This record gives sequence, structure tokens and C-alpha cells, in this order.
Amino acid sequence: MTVLDERRAVEQRLRPRQTGPRRRDRSIRGWVRRGGLVTLLFALPMILVFTVYSWWPILQSIWMSFQKTNLITYQFVGLDNFVNVLSDPLLGRAVVNTLYFALLALVFGFPLPILMAVLMSEVKRMKGLYSALAYLPVIVPPVVAVLLWKFFYSASPTGVFNTILGVLGIPPQPWIQDATQAMPSLVLEATWAAAGGSIIIYLAALLAVPPELYDAAEVDGASIWRKIWHVTLPQLRGVIFVMLILQVIATAQVFLEPYLFTGGGPNNATVTVLLLIYRYAFENSLGGKYGEATALSVMLALFLAAASFLYFKATEKWSTD
Amino acid sequence: MSITIKLPRPRLRTRRSLDATTEPDVERGILSPHDRRRTPVRVGQVISHIVLMGGLLVVGLGPLLWLAKSAISTTQDTIQYPLQFWPSGIDWANLEQAWVDVEVGKYFFNTIALALGQWVIGLVIATTGAYVLSILRPAYARVLQGAILATLFVPSVVLLVPLFITVARPAFGPSLLNNYLGVWLPTAANAFNILIVKRFFDSLPQEVFEAARTDGAGTVRMFWSIVLPMSRPILGVVSVFIVIASLKDYLWPKLVLTVPDVQPLGVRLPNIQSQTELDVTLAALAIATIIPVVLFLAFQRLILRGAGLGGAVKG
Amino acid sequence: MKSPTKVIAIAAAFATVASLAACSTGGSADGKIELRVATFPPGADQAAYDAFATQEAQFEKKYPNIDIIGVEYEWEGPTFTAQLAAGSLPDVFTVPFTDAKTLLENGQLADVTEEIKALGYEDKFNPIILDAVKDSKGHLFGFPRQAYALGLQYNRQLFEQAGLDPDSPPTTWDQVREYAKQISEKTGKAGYATMTQNNTGGWQLTAQAASRGGFLQSDDGTTSTIANDGVKATLQYFHDLRWDDNSMGDNFLLDWGSINQEFAAGNIGMYTSGSDLYTALVRDFSLDPAVYGLTTIPMEDGGKVLGGGDIAVLPPSLDADTKAAAVKWVDWYYMQKLLNKDAAVADAKALSDSGQAVGTPVLPVLDQATYEESLTWIEPYVNVPRDQMQGFIDGIFEQTPVGEPKSHTQEIYALLDPIVQAVLTDRNADIDALLAQADKDAQALIGG
Repeated sequence: MTVLDERRAVEQRLRPRQTGPRRRDRSIRGWVRRGGLVTLLFALPMILVFTVYSWWPILQSIWMSFQKTNLITYQFVGLDNFVNVLSDPLLGRAVVNTLYFALLALVFGFPLPILMAVLMSEVKRMKGLYSALAYLPVIVPPVVAVLLWKFFYSASPTGVFNTILGVLGIPPQPWIQDATQAMPSLVLEATWAAAGGSIIIYLAALLAVPPELYDAAEVDGASIWRKIWHVTLPQLRGVIFVMLILQVIATAQVFLEPYLFTGGGPNNATVTVLLLIYRYAFENSLGGKYGEATALSVMLALFLAAASFLYFKATEKWSTD
Repeated sequence: MSITIKLPRPRLRTRRSLDATTEPDVERGILSPHDRRRTPVRVGQVISHIVLMGGLLVVGLGPLLWLAKSAISTTQDTIQYPLQFWPSGIDWANLEQAWVDVEVGKYFFNTIALALGQWVIGLVIATTGAYVLSILRPAYARVLQGAILATLFVPSVVLLVPLFITVARPAFGPSLLNNYLGVWLPTAANAFNILIVKRFFDSLPQEVFEAARTDGAGTVRMFWSIVLPMSRPILGVVSVFIVIASLKDYLWPKLVLTVPDVQPLGVRLPNIQSQTELDVTLAALAIATIIPVVLFLAFQRLILRGAGLGGAVKG
Repeated sequence: MKSPTKVIAIAAAFATVASLAACSTGGSADGKIELRVATFPPGADQAAYDAFATQEAQFEKKYPNIDIIGVEYEWEGPTFTAQLAAGSLPDVFTVPFTDAKTLLENGQLADVTEEIKALGYEDKFNPIILDAVKDSKGHLFGFPRQAYALGLQYNRQLFEQAGLDPDSPPTTWDQVREYAKQISEKTGKAGYATMTQNNTGGWQLTAQAASRGGFLQSDDGTTSTIANDGVKATLQYFHDLRWDDNSMGDNFLLDWGSINQEFAAGNIGMYTSGSDLYTALVRDFSLDPAVYGLTTIPMEDGGKVLGGGDIAVLPPSLDADTKAAAVKWVDWYYMQKLLNKDAAVADAKALSDSGQAVGTPVLPVLDQATYEESLTWIEPYVNVPRDQMQGFIDGIFEQTPVGEPKSHTQEIYALLDPIVQAVLTDRNADIDALLAQADKDAQALIGG
């Protein structure tokens, strides 16, 4: 201790003075007088909350992924949890399903908001009303949305959607009661719930396109379509890329829809990675598979961290170019 | 460990564009004034209006109107004629039954209590934290900021299990299961909110603080009387983020609040749905939608502005 | 502000960090042993608590050095896990048979072999029921306190509407199929349904396969035998009802709660579930008691009836004194009402006074003679329509009960859920291939 303290003291003495105008009093009292204590008090809530509920659990999750536990005792098991997870026949299914969800979400939920945003930015009147209407589903609590849509998806011929199909002369569909239709049905609801947010973001980005670019294009005699193709879309490239990554991050963690709509069924058609983590941790094993749950979380986190990193790089670029 | 990631600065372009939302005529878009006078474009405009209005009314508002109607219809009506525009009889009893018998009222107030506490704690952490990082800037601010930024890379899912154990069996103190603090504190550890507020504080004119210091304002005074009042816009945006996030959250409160008595409506609804008759369930769903919709109508501009920032902010 | 928890939660909001440091561990100052015991699920009515208070006082009078503290408790997988993680489980609680194996395999239950021997009623237990709490070495991990057999639940009103006699329910699987078809055709409702979600699909498949003589594991629980004829016949039966007869309705994502809800709403003619279900159907799902019917599950080819129930257990972390006190409580509170007339009458009276169901048909936890004698004790308090359950009451003792699969029960059920769903949602599902795969996965679980 004392050796360390001495060394620290020497180092402090040797360290070049800070560029303050006058010599600073390095005693604790001086630190307090300069407001160091008050500053620390301001920082404390943040530091405490992050230490206890973020940094510590992060370290703990790494530690736990190498442990076998029944929540009463813990035992180091090396890479067993990772091996167990990777050899779980459901994992492949869950990964494929999650990717499928992501793909469908892109197909359903990606072009449409851009198109809507372009239309909305070009109409002169009632833009506020349109924005509000488009955003309304985003406001609905997801649990309500899912339970409501679950009813809409009733497979009976008198179900809400099947009645609409009936009016159009299409036979009733099984929707979430069928392994092939279940996932698209989930994505349809998820898209309904999220598209409004994307529309508003694209709208903001569209309004940020410098008008001079359009003026210039017009001088070159560009038609409306050419303006969209050569000016609007290239200008949106950054935000589109960011939205893409955000969507990948969000869809990789999809849980609520499969959990409440189908419980992962029919025949595992909608088991997602997060649903699998939830099952490991909180269902069947009754606390026996926390290790597996954290191991899979850590693997998912590595993937998501890479995606988030891209996101940051992209926002940085997008905002500076 | 210090990770240096520059967050996007608040961009003038964004600001301008957001203002433009409210004054659409100042800016031009893809169409030039000349374009707008051409007949095909005019026709296109009309079609756009029809598509937007029709589509958005049916898709955006439709399900909610349907929910409102079904909440006061009988189960028979809803099942047999789901698309009937007007119910055959209005069954106000559904709402009463949901509110009283199914105790939606209790869960409704739980929801509000949960959101309010979330709001207060979230704002305190976000503003004090940002104040330290942006304005007070002690020697350790850089390290602290790095450590907080780093948490953005760790998705919430990885924390599910260890965080749950932390809350359920803290190193010291009582378990926070079935205690709202178990929801409030972990969700307040939100790096995004701190960083948005910090970015706003960064853009405040430094001269004001210098002047205040010369006038002898202390750290606390400066925070309370200068920084906070100047930050109303960003506080509004962050408040909206926090409250809406709280109203939408499901998995975490479900895990922490295991006793029905303290659960918010969102967590309780799936259980209600599996135990009550359809018309009452739908009435409960309608009640659960009321708070966020009222909030939305009241703070529409603020919310849409916040959502527009989402490209840089959403996580 | 009825709930103290809520008051605490809100008050705590403003205490923030300080409350984290506040540590509250109650020691027993007067040398009494504090025993935290499970009482009722949250939201139980006051009458139940009053009855409990009386019993608590009686017990404390008999054992003055034990201080009983009632704790709200409800069995539910995630909630249980939460309480386990929080270390807030009571010292005595109950778990269903289905989950007992998982818990004892996880090492989450206390070994009570010695204690049961000392109390002297080890041989009085129905051996099939005792199996549910036994590990592979023959150690016992709990006190079975209540058991049921699976039965065929049916809606008398739908029977009548379809022109069937509700007093002569079907007795063979072929009849069930025939009746189901008739109900579907006449009423448009699902004639027959089966659970498919949250491991209940596997549970009910197991039960129906057992009635056809097919069992999922070898007797010692070391070999998976999922791909057997009974399971195949059951799945083929589902397939035929669903795709040939179209008599299973259009919702194939049902678990214990949602199938009860559909049944109570009059949308299902018949399904299999526990023989004690009446209580929950009437109390939690607002079923009209007049439409309820219960009979035995048809048996074929050496079939047996699957049983279930729940068990009073202790966590493994108790010290010797607390454990001894806990065993006294289990014996006094749960077991004596099965053995002793006064205790049985007091219990039945308390239940019927608070409007709870008394007399739903169950399986004897102890030997049949003791059970039948106990029925005569509580006769005056029976308040369920036993004549609507006559088919079950008359038939159940001619059936041979069998316990649930011994090893990794819930995980095996979880493997079977998707298969039941596949058969009901995909006309071309390949039953043999699905079962072969499940058998392989199950063997990997059991062996690993």
C-alpha cells in the first residue's frame, strides 16, 4: 500500500502541470473547494446505476457463461454451455427463423416506408395529419397490438382478416395456424407496428436534401424520375444504410411476437434466438440452464456488437459527409 | 478502457429539416414549382393524397377504431360480424367489467406509477450525467464517457439473465423483485438518453456558464437555474422517449414484477386475455391503448420531432 | 393502495440509493424457529386466509417453538425461477409432479428420505405416486399430497345440441371420434381438441398414447421409446380427426389456459385434462357448472391412465432445525388431512365455507381404502356436481394409473409440442420421421 501510494505521489509530482492559470491545490480539501465533491455527487447516480445494472451484469454474463448453476450452487464447466447450445437441434432452427424474420421484415418493411415518405414529402397539404396517422401504430403498446392482431388472425372463416379476404373472393387462410404462413403473419404485424417510425425518419432525411441539388438537376433537364434516382436516393443512402443496420439489430432480438402469437409454433416455425434464450433461462429447465442462456446471449451479443459498431461508424459518416 | 467513438453532432441540417416539417412551404422537394403546374403531376398529387389518406386511415387508424368499436360490442357481434361498421347494441358493461372485475383499473394505475417513476429517475440520471460529462468535465469524464458509450455495444438481451439475478439477489440490500425500483433503476442505465442530453448541453453557449461562474453561481445553482431551463426542448424529447419506452416495455417488467398486484397493464394483458371473455378482453386492450394515444395527441409535435431524430438516436 | 408491495414500491422510489443499502434480515430473537410456508396464490380471498390463520394458530399451539409465516405462492415456471434466483422461496412449497423430476435433477429440492421413513407412512403411499418424487437411487424428495388422473372433459350442452346423450359419454376412442364428428357437423364447434403449446402438447400426447399402451421411456427412464405404436396411433388419430373429419376446429395453438377458456366459452366438445379441473374451470374461467361433464379416457391395448398431482417440498438449503420444523408442518398441514378424520373434516369445511370446490374426483395419494374412507368423512361438504362426473368416478378405479416419463419430463414434452402442432397444421406431416427425430433428441437428453 504505502509503496504504491509513494509511487503515485512521485508520479503526480513528475506529471506535467495542467494548463490551469494558477497552481492547483492538490489536497482533498482543495479538490472539494474547487467543486470536485459536488461534481462527484452529480456523477454518482449515473456511476452507481451503470455499475450495478450495466457494467457488473456484463462482466457477470461472461463469467456465468462458463458456469453450470441451479441458482443455488455454481460450478465452472469450461465451454460446456457453448457446446450444449451449439449442439441443441433447435439452435439452427432458431437462427434460420430469425434470419427469415429479418429478411421478411426487409421485404415488407423497407421499401414501403421510403415510398410513403417520398409521397408524403411531396404533397403540400395535410402532411402533419399523414405523419400522425402513420405514427399512430407505433404508439400502441406492442402487447396490445399483438393480442389484437392475434384475434384478427383467427383462422375461422369469420375471422377479421378472413372476412376481408372473403369479400375479395379469397378463401380463408390459416395465418398463424400454419407453419409456412406463421412467420410472414408475425412480420406483417411487426411491420405495421414499426413502419411509422421509419417513415418519420425518412421524412426528416428527405427534407434535409439540399434543394440546390434538385435545382442543378433541373438545369440539366432531369425528369422527376431521374431526380428521384439520381438525387433523392443517393442523398438518402446514408440514412437507408443506418436504418438497415438498426433493423438487423432489432430483428435479431425479436421476442414478443413469437412469444405471444405462437409460442414458437406451429412446429417450431417461429422459434427465434431470443425466444430460445428465454426458454433456457426461465422455462423448462426451471433455473437449470442459466449457463446455456448466458452462453447464447454472449454469442448473440458478439454479433449485435459488430452490427452496432457498424451503426456507429455509419451514423458518424452520415452526419459528417 | 477508452473507446473513442464520436457521436454524431447535432446537425444544423437536422434542425432545419425538423423546422421545415412545420413550415413545409419554405422548402422545395423533388418537385419544382414548375413541375407542380404540370397536369400529370397534379393528377399524381391527387392520387398521392387518395393513396395516403385511404391507406393511412385504414392501416393506421383502422385497427384502433375497430378496437374501440369492439370494446363496446358484445362477444357475439364481434365474432360473427367482425366487420360490421356499427354494433347491433352498445355494451358499455364491457368497460365497467374490465375496469372493476378484471381489475384493469388497478393495473392501469400501476402502469402510470411505473411510467412516472421511470420518467423521474430516467431524467435525473440523464441530466445529472450529461451535466458532468458535458459541462463539469472532471478529469475522469473521458473514462466515464467511454465506459458509458461502451454499453451501447452490448445489447440488452445479453444482460437479461445476469441483470435479473442482480435485481433478484443484490450483493447487498433486499431483493428488488416485485419492487418498482427493480424496473426503474436498470432501465435508467440508458446510455442513449445521457448522450442525447449531453450533445444538447455541448451545444449550449459556453459564455453563459462563464458569466454565471463569475457571478458566483455554484455547480448546483448553475444546473438548476441555467442549464435545465435552457434545455427544455431536449428534456421534452427525452421525457417522451422514457415514458413511451416504459409504456411499451414488456419482457423486463414481466420478469421483475411477478406478483399480479404490482404488474402494469401491458404485462397483465396476456393473462387477462387467456382468462376472460373476448369482449371484456378487447375492452381491456382498448383501455391499455388510451394512455399512449392521449399522450400522443397531446405531445404530437414533440413525439414526431423525437422520432425524426431516431435515425441517430434509436437503439 | 391495498397492496403493501405497491406502497413499498412507490415509497421506495424516492429513497433511491439509500434503500439499496438498507439491509433487512430478521433473526429470531426469542429462540423460535421461523418457518416461511407457502400459502395461496396471490389474490386468494380473505376466507382462505382466515382459515389459514386458524390452522396456523392450532399448529403453533402444538409446536410452540415454531413460528409460522405464511408467504404468497403460486406455481408457475418463470415465477418459480424468479423466486429461486431471488432466494425468496418459502421453506415449504408445492410443485406439480411434472416439474418435480427436473427440480430434483437440478439439485433444487431437499432429500427427505429419512424424514418420510421416520414418519412411518412410506409404505402407505400409492407406489406410482411415490415414484414422482424418487430419484434414480431411490431417494425421496417430497411429500405427494394430492393427485389426479387425466380424464375426458366434455360439454354436456354441445352433446345435447348434437343429439348425443350427455349421460352416456363415449367409452372408446372410435366413439370419441364419431361423437366429435357429429358435434362439429351439428354445431360448427370443435368436436375434439387437444393442447399443443408450452409443453402441454407433449403432456397430452403422452397421456393419450399411454391410454393406447404406448409409453415414452423404459421403466428405468434411461431409454427413450417415443417412436412407439401408441404415440403413432395417437398422432394418426389427431390427423384423421383434423384432416378427414375436420372436427377439431381451427385453433391449434392451445395450452392449458387457452383450451380451458375455449371450453368454457362453449367452443370445444371434448378434450383431455386433469380430473380435478372442475375447480379451476368454474373459479377462473367462469364455466357454467351445468354444462360440465367428465368421464374416463378410453383405454386400448393395455393402456394406462396418466396421473399427476402436486408435492410438498423443501429447498435444499435449510439448516437441520428449520428442516425438522418444515417436515412437522408438511405432516400436519398436508398429510394428516389424508390420514385423519378430524383433519379431513376441518379442511373440507374450511374449503366449502369459503366457496371452494370440495369433492372433485382425484386419485388416491395413499392406498385406496384410506381414500374411500376419507370420502365418507367429507360427504356432507361435497359441493360439486358429482353426478355429472359419474363416468369418471365409476370407471377410474378399473384403470391402471401410470406416472409421467421419469427423466427430463418437461424437456421431452417440449420436444413433442411441435410434433402435435405439425400433425394438426400440416396435412402431409410425416409422423414416422418426426417421431424418429424426437426419439433421437430425447435419447440425447436422457443419455447426456
